[in-house]
Amino acid sequence: MTEHILELNGITKEFPGVKALDNVQFELKTGEIHALMGENGAGKSTFIKVITGVHQPNEGRIKLEGEEITFQGPKDANAKGIAAIYQHVTNYPDLSITENIYMGHEKINKKTRMINWKEMHQDAKKLLESLGSKLDPKTEMSVLSVAQQQIVEIAKALSSNAKIIIMDEPTAALTHRESEELYKITERLRDEGVSIIFISHRFEDMYRLADRVTVFRDSQYIGTWNVVDITNDDLIVAMVGREIKQLFPDKTNIIKEEVLRLEKLGQIGRFKDISINLHRGEILGITGLVGAGRSELCQAMFGIEPYDEGAMYFEGTRISIDNPTDAIKLGIGYLPEDRQAQSLILQWEIKQNITLASLAQYSKNGWLNEKKEREIAKELAEKVDVKTNSVFSLASSLSGGNQQKVSVAKLLTTDLKVIIFDEPTKGVDIGAKSAIYQIIVDLASSGYGIIMVSSEMPEVLGLSDRIAVMCEGRLTKVMGNEEATQEKILEAAMTKEMAVH
Amino acid sequence: MSTRTINHIQDFSWKRFFLQWEWMLILLIIAIFTMNSSLSPYFLNYISITDATMTFLDKAFIVFPMVMIMIMREIDISVGSTVALSSVVMAVAYNAGVPMVLAIMICLLVGALCGLFNGFLLVKYKELSAVIVTLSTMILYRGIAYMILENQSSGGFPMWFSFFGWGYVGTIPFILILFLLLAVIFVLVLQKTIFGRHIYAIGSNPIASRFSGVKVDRVKLIVFTLAGLMAAITAVFLTSRMGSTRPNVANMYELDVIAMVALGGISTAGGKGKMLGAILAVFVIGYLQYGLGLINVPAQSLLVIIGLLLIISVTVTNLRMKGKLKKKTSN
Repeated sequence: MTEHILELNGITKEFPGVKALDNVQFELKTGEIHALMGENGAGKSTFIKVITGVHQPNEGRIKLEGEEITFQGPKDANAKGIAAIYQHVTNYPDLSITENIYMGHEKINKKTRMINWKEMHQDAKKLLESLGSKLDPKTEMSVLSVAQQQIVEIAKALSSNAKIIIMDEPTAALTHRESEELYKITERLRDEGVSIIFISHRFEDMYRLADRVTVFRDSQYIGTWNVVDITNDDLIVAMVGREIKQLFPDKTNIIKEEVLRLEKLGQIGRFKDISINLHRGEILGITGLVGAGRSELCQAMFGIEPYDEGAMYFEGTRISIDNPTDAIKLGIGYLPEDRQAQSLILQWEIKQNITLASLAQYSKNGWLNEKKEREIAKELAEKVDVKTNSVFSLASSLSGGNQQKVSVAKLLTTDLKVIIFDEPTKGVDIGAKSAIYQIIVDLASSGYGIIMVSSEMPEVLGLSDRIAVMCEGRLTKVMGNEEATQEKILEAAMTKEMAVH
Repeated sequence: MSTRTINHIQDFSWKRFFLQWEWMLILLIIAIFTMNSSLSPYFLNYISITDATMTFLDKAFIVFPMVMIMIMREIDISVGSTVALSSVVMAVAYNAGVPMVLAIMICLLVGALCGLFNGFLLVKYKELSAVIVTLSTMILYRGIAYMILENQSSGGFPMWFSFFGWGYVGTIPFILILFLLLAVIFVLVLQKTIFGRHIYAIGSNPIASRFSGVKVDRVKLIVFTLAGLMAAITAVFLTSRMGSTRPNVANMYELDVIAMVALGGISTAGGKGKMLGAILAVFVIGYLQYGLGLINVPAQSLLVIIGLLLIISVTVTNLRMKGKLKKKTSN
């Protein structure tokens, strides 16, 4: 038995035009939780695909339990006990938990050559129980929460006797409490001798869980440290390659007159009695637990799903917004939470993405002026500092943070007075995060009214002038930045929950 | 706060220019011309080429809106029935005493209404798929045509009406002039206007389009109505060429049209393809059918050849896209 269950050395993987991995190394000890960190585009995803056999490296050696091996495909890696669990769980939503766990290696009754359902259900139940879950294995996958689906995925990995489990940003879509559950399960797995590679953007995941951390940057291996030995700042320098002196920019915005007011806004089953206002030059943070109705409120203000009751006033006049076209025309813009599904057309060029919401400006009687369109796109892409050489690059070729910048640039093409940012830094690396914060503050300084919905407490506290907290569809507290603390926010975010139980 | 300059002028690249599916279609047309003229000494003269063109152009009008529909990731299989219904209504109206000019107007109106109804159903009931909706109306419209005329034929149109199907302006068939004129308009609308850009956006990501302020429902309604209107124009030319109409005319036209669009390089996955490709494909299939007719290839073999051509073209265009995707999504 060697100390290292998995060793990779000198791994290089090239794609046409890019070196996604450049001579990287990695060692995983038996029974440890090893965090893998790095900015988007650092090569983590490609590296995982090499370990799971999806990609074959151009150079380098992989040693599993001391023996050199090569994987022809994901099935090989799976057979050797390597399993991966992704942030976006890939499963069969209409099938039961049991079917999902045993997909591809169903238990067969030797005599009848039929599937042995009884045994499969029993074993699935045992697996789930070993993970501390009381779910009925006959439940349909689609009714489970993301956290529960991940537990099923872990059970699936265990059912094929996984010795190495790779978790790719598993906590990204989880609440704090759910994350805590996941931590416990992960630790239990480690204690049973499973080795775990844990990928996350959240520092707290790493501190809470990992024994060691490896950092990649720009397709290269930077280093491996014991978690107890590395400081926050050192880790950021390792990941970003430079010091980020200040994650949050100096606030230069000045709050002016009121621009938007909501009076008792409500949408059946989603939110109720929301009364709040927004000023020019102000950043209003809206926070709360997942499912508190924050996105629903913002989407109602933007006309995606119109509100049922109450009134909205824009610059003092009562308005009605039935669709996003109306909202944009009035001057209300919305940066959706899910940029890939709701904002960008990934297979399009950056240029066309930036101009989609404002084509009327580059056209005469409906005919496009493509030269003008190109110029505006260039100007805005430069303004938000998209890391690309040309506005003709496809949006899909950009990292998450730069895709987000393109989404922001798209908002800036229209003549807006209010911008709603819904989770603006979700899935974005720390370098891009600080750039997006700077953009938000600059926009407020130039007179936009900004609403920022976010689940990240430091972000809400670091940027907002006022903070509104929602819980179960209601506004439970509005406070100025100076009086706000993490504790107060959390308390307000759980107010209703406590009252109910 | 900008730190870099981003290029916004694209260098012209011959490689990119020639790597377009449209060149393949042009080569195909040349090959078919070569084949046709070697098969029949009578093919390569002006009269027989224009003659050939007139026989296959009527249904080609529907290709224009069908390209838009398929780029939007939708489909309309009711267009053949729309042709039949608007043609039958026109003939019956004329024979009931309505002046011919007015009867033609009614024909166009009926077609547009058929298309509008398809669009309305799709926009109103978003969970329904276009295949099912237009399959229903395909049966419905054809059924109404049969109710109106039973299994009779109706004709006896005034002499001047035959101009649509048989008339020349100078030495060029009228139908060809109108087709080319509309072709130019549709190419420009799809590639150079906001409306066209919105069609591509809807086909690529309908949700992001809505969030970007694109009036998705309105665009769909307009395009489906256009499909009905173009089907009615087909009805006018077809009825004029035949001199009379029956409820069973334009049978399977929808499939011919979809075949032309697919051969033109428009992906059924939405968001991709050009109007010009589909227009070229009209001529590929048209001249191929005509040429094989010249040497008396039986109709069944003709179907086999067109089917094979379609499989090859769809495979090639899809493989091409897959190759591109692989490169783009690496890392």
